[in-house]
Amino acid sequence: MTSFLIGLFIATLIVALFTMRLYRLILWYSLNSLSLALLAITIGYSINDNTMILSGFLTLVLKAILIPYILKKVSVKFGLSRQIKPNVQIHYSIMLIPALLVFTFYLAEPITNMMVSNANYVAISISALFLSLLLMIEHKNIAPKIIGFLTIENSLFLLGTTATGGMPMLIELGIFFDLLMAIVIINLLFHQEEEEGLE
Amino acid sequence: MIYLLLLPAIIMLILSFSNIEKSKYILPVTSLLILFPSIKLFFLPRPYSVIGKYLVADDLSAYIMLVSSIVAICVTLAMSTLGLHVKISKKAYSRFYRFFAIFWIGLTLSILANNMGLYWIGLETATLSTVYMIKTNNTAMARKEAWNYMIVGAIAISLILFGIILIYASAKPILGEDAMIFSSLLEHAKEIKSPFLFEIGFAITTLGMFIKMGFFPMNLWLANIERASFYPVAALFSGILESAVMIGFFRFSKIAQAVDLLHVFIFVFIYTILTIFIVSFLIYRAKDFMRLFSLSGVEHMALIALFWASGGIFAALLHFGAHAFLKPALFLSTGILESSGKYKIAGALRGYRGIKGKIFYFLTALFLLSIVSLPPSPMFFSELYGFAAMVNIAKLHQHLLLMIGAIIILLILLSIIFYKFIEIYQSMKYEGKEETKVVYGNEVLALIIFAISLMVLLTPWSFEFLRGVS
Repeated sequence: MTSFLIGLFIATLIVALFTMRLYRLILWYSLNSLSLALLAITIGYSINDNTMILSGFLTLVLKAILIPYILKKVSVKFGLSRQIKPNVQIHYSIMLIPALLVFTFYLAEPITNMMVSNANYVAISISALFLSLLLMIEHKNIAPKIIGFLTIENSLFLLGTTATGGMPMLIELGIFFDLLMAIVIINLLFHQEEEEGLE
Repeated sequence: MIYLLLLPAIIMLILSFSNIEKSKYILPVTSLLILFPSIKLFFLPRPYSVIGKYLVADDLSAYIMLVSSIVAICVTLAMSTLGLHVKISKKAYSRFYRFFAIFWIGLTLSILANNMGLYWIGLETATLSTVYMIKTNNTAMARKEAWNYMIVGAIAISLILFGIILIYASAKPILGEDAMIFSSLLEHAKEIKSPFLFEIGFAITTLGMFIKMGFFPMNLWLANIERASFYPVAALFSGILESAVMIGFFRFSKIAQAVDLLHVFIFVFIYTILTIFIVSFLIYRAKDFMRLFSLSGVEHMALIALFWASGGIFAALLHFGAHAFLKPALFLSTGILESSGKYKIAGALRGYRGIKGKIFYFLTALFLLSIVSLPPSPMFFSELYGFAAMVNIAKLHQHLLLMIGAIIILLILLSIIFYKFIEIYQSMKYEGKEETKVVYGNEVLALIIFAISLMVLLTPWSFEFLRGVS
């Protein structure tokens, strides 16, 4: 089950890299967060860690439902361009993404050798981090860059879950709080731009 | 204690929602309250536990807290006449204070944090709140740079979190959840079973911090952001936010030094020399005050990191204090220096009348010459002690000749910066037309506080305290 969910996590991220429509990108981000939440709940259940189960549920509510909903609202309200063409053409991406995945596994080998458990998962979370960076780089529009930032956060959450068996609860809550604050700031940045546009 | 530390920020947050015309003069007074808990920390037995083992005030954090408090007070003091130099709406003004309050809460958390995770949360909160401060300047460039800061800042901060997770993973098998605590990590650094994993984590965290401070290869992003924002925001960036990043570097590198001293030194040495190399030429080509001061800030941050990694704790902290006072002072003075236009350097130091004008002229000239380490600037002494620390570490590892070569290269690069600053100073003083410039009392007061703080930094009492920081 864990392997399936982690596969789903990386698959949704890869598909997000090929997406050329904004709402579809938000959907893939939501699915990415959903697989992450289910993963945290599954791992938490298997190792009997209530903190991880709770952070899994928080991920589900915040990242899989609330944030995509707010992003969709923001994009409708401020009329963001729904056509998001990546700078890197798709046929190049098809070659670039597997190369990046293989390269990350090679790069992360010394780290994964040191891991007691879930070694491959650590390599996958590092590759997810690189893919999220690629998502930020390959788009000119601001919306996919925001999604890229949010998927970086997801990759780090995955790394925290798999490499360390979960971070302390206080830190997890703090990270969630900062993420919400980032969403508020993003909303405010768009909001003021609209106000100035009206003026 | 935590209530005392956070109370000024909470009052400021509440006041920012009231009528700004009335609270405009109360807000700087509120910021004065920041100073009392910072001073109180010096009279308490240290390390003093503010909240359990999560927030602890030791010598290092008490010093940085005090320095940051003084800078915060001076910046809010200078803010009250911002509207007389630049065009700023009432809404933007209250928003500045609102986000400044959030910024201060984040900053207090990160400076006092004895927990890697809490440090990150504080830093992220402070970073996010500054994004909006950039936007108080209502220009297309500021809007673009606010987004730029949001994206690049987010990448930098994510790298820091990535490194923290790896460090936590490396130490968790021996320390459990205490692997998040700085003091526990330092105590058990030698017992970490996978030092390679720890060092990778440290390198990634440091990379994130160096990006945030504008080190190689991200030398210009901070300069562009500071150019686009109002000068008090730039002063906050250079005087306080970078201090919060720096304290993180101090704490992480101390643990990494306990794991392998030479690895940390080589990593930081190569990175900082490369940064100073690029920055010295960028400074040589700088055409306005903001970019000039911003790039000079990057140079000084690189020197602080280098001195610290060489084991020159005293030199690094003295340089840190001097930089934290001098740079915001210069950024605040740009509001007046740029009265005749953004890119008008010639004659910027001419045309000051009256006592306030004369004091402003004298202090700004003094700060300009101090920033290039002319004696008796604290930077002159810190650089001497810093180079001595570099020689000492090279002697220990039988690389003395190599180090002397590196110091000579460093001195050549610093002399390029010195030349540019002197050239600019002469142009400001002797060239251009004389145009009358208005200086306000609160701005002069802010500069006087900075000057007094710099003088206090040079007293034997300060030297003794800084030598005691370990």
